[in-house]
Amino acid sequence: MQVRFAGIGGQGVVLAGIILGEAAAIEGLNVTQTQDYSSASRGGHSIADVIVSREPIYDLIVTEADVLVALHQLGYDTVKDSLRKDGTLIVDTDLVKPDREYTGAPFTRLAEESTGTSLTVNMVALGYLIARTGIVKRESAIEAIKRRVPKGTEEINIRAFDVGFEEGSG
Amino acid sequence: MRYPFVTGGSDFIQGDEAIARAAIMAGCRFYAGYPITPASEIFEAMALYLPLVDGVSIQMEDEIGSIAAIIGASWAGAKAMTATSGPGFSLMQENLGYAVMTETPIVVVNMQRGGPSTGQPTLPAQGDMMQAIWGTHGDHMLIVLVPSTVQEAFDFTVRAFNLAEKYRTPVVVLGDAEIAHMRERVNIPEPEEIEVVNRKLPRTPEEERMPFGDPDGDGVPPMPIFGRGYRTYVTGLTHDEFGHPKTVDREIHERLIKRIFRKILDNKADIISYHEYELEDAEVAIVATGIVSRSAMRAVKMLRERGLKIGLLKLDTIWPFDFDMMKKLAERVHRIYVPEMNLGQLYHLVKEGAEGLAEVTLIDKIGGEVHTPGEIVERIERGERR
Repeated sequence: MQVRFAGIGGQGVVLAGIILGEAAAIEGLNVTQTQDYSSASRGGHSIADVIVSREPIYDLIVTEADVLVALHQLGYDTVKDSLRKDGTLIVDTDLVKPDREYTGAPFTRLAEESTGTSLTVNMVALGYLIARTGIVKRESAIEAIKRRVPKGTEEINIRAFDVGFEEGSG
Repeated sequence: MRYPFVTGGSDFIQGDEAIARAAIMAGCRFYAGYPITPASEIFEAMALYLPLVDGVSIQMEDEIGSIAAIIGASWAGAKAMTATSGPGFSLMQENLGYAVMTETPIVVVNMQRGGPSTGQPTLPAQGDMMQAIWGTHGDHMLIVLVPSTVQEAFDFTVRAFNLAEKYRTPVVVLGDAEIAHMRERVNIPEPEEIEVVNRKLPRTPEEERMPFGDPDGDGVPPMPIFGRGYRTYVTGLTHDEFGHPKTVDREIHERLIKRIFRKILDNKADIISYHEYELEDAEVAIVATGIVSRSAMRAVKMLRERGLKIGLLKLDTIWPFDFDMMKKLAERVHRIYVPEMNLGQLYHLVKEGAEGLAEVTLIDKIGGEVHTPGEIVERIERGERR
């Protein structure tokens, strides 16, 4: 399965990709994670690719995404063509106006409401993605979050993940 | 030995991180470097881990100093490594030759980025293949390994140390920015599952006196360790078996350089590593190395589905090069495609090996993107329709 996260610098897009990859690795799946970002650390587009498979992985970047998670219009516009025709588009419904069928929730708003900061938007979106696709188990994702987020922020990030997970389970 | 990272399990890490962990598990206890994208994470990991395993990591003033420091560390008995990218690799060439001439086991990692000069710092390339083989001056011989996955980055680094120790030679691990920064699931063995080779030490007083002799007839002299009582002379000048400069004696120069060639070339079967995929009935072949071989592998599968009898020869080592094997491949297929992220380097080695028995076609790409499988498929389909 090919998953692509697209947003802008500062949204934690690459970390979301790394945590999804880590969760897949925890489950013993083969996984490759790559990233592409413009040189601006904030404000430029930011893309993270995760390819998960039981077979050996030869691909490096997502060319035909099964799922595209778009957190910002700029990221969406940059990579929307890489989503398969029958692929799943998940968007922050406040910030992205897609030109095709989609699902999603106001991830940034949910992050602010549940954790008091928009910095956890990546975790909300990740929770939503995992609930919707079942690509990895919730427990694996929680374990991956604990390993990868900065020390002391585990609780707030898991809370944000669960808000997204619940939203996606509906 | 306890390691400051997971062993006997899998982890999800970048290629640079895998190289650092592999080096430590292979016995590396000295690292000297100068930060450069995309190899800086190797330095960061070595700086973090080495003090925890009684090793030393040091930042030098530049890449010339870095390779000089690891050569010195190796003579002091430590397994030593440095890592860099194109601009730094250029600076290292002089001392890479010094390591060849003094037969010093070292591992030099070059995570290739777009060049020449400072070029494209963050993007992958394969433009340093000829430089890795022929970058330093004079007749010389060394070993070059090219990983295509994060797992291979780990495995080949362990192997690089073992080959360096076994043959008393510098070994280059030639990665690229993509391998450096991508994360994959990697199996990290238990320490006892890893074969670790250590250099031959002098066994007799006579061997102690001859750090460049050939007592075993295999071209690999036992290497004394500074500080253990040996009085040894090490020089980049042409030297005799005792290490003494002998710069105008034709026979001594020829004997020394030919032995340095022979110790590698007589052991090609041990050193050279490659993998064949679907070549049994192939009429067309792809020869690829490093990151591009992944796209080539996918291209083979796509073209097989479309009925083309095609296979892949993936090279793990590009030097020494198995010209005989390439000739045998050329006898079996009518065309060999060589996709690489440069304007033609491996292509020339393949063409030399093929000896005109098969047509060799370059699929070049530069600019910082790995060939997609689709691009390779398209070029081959176009080529085969002619």
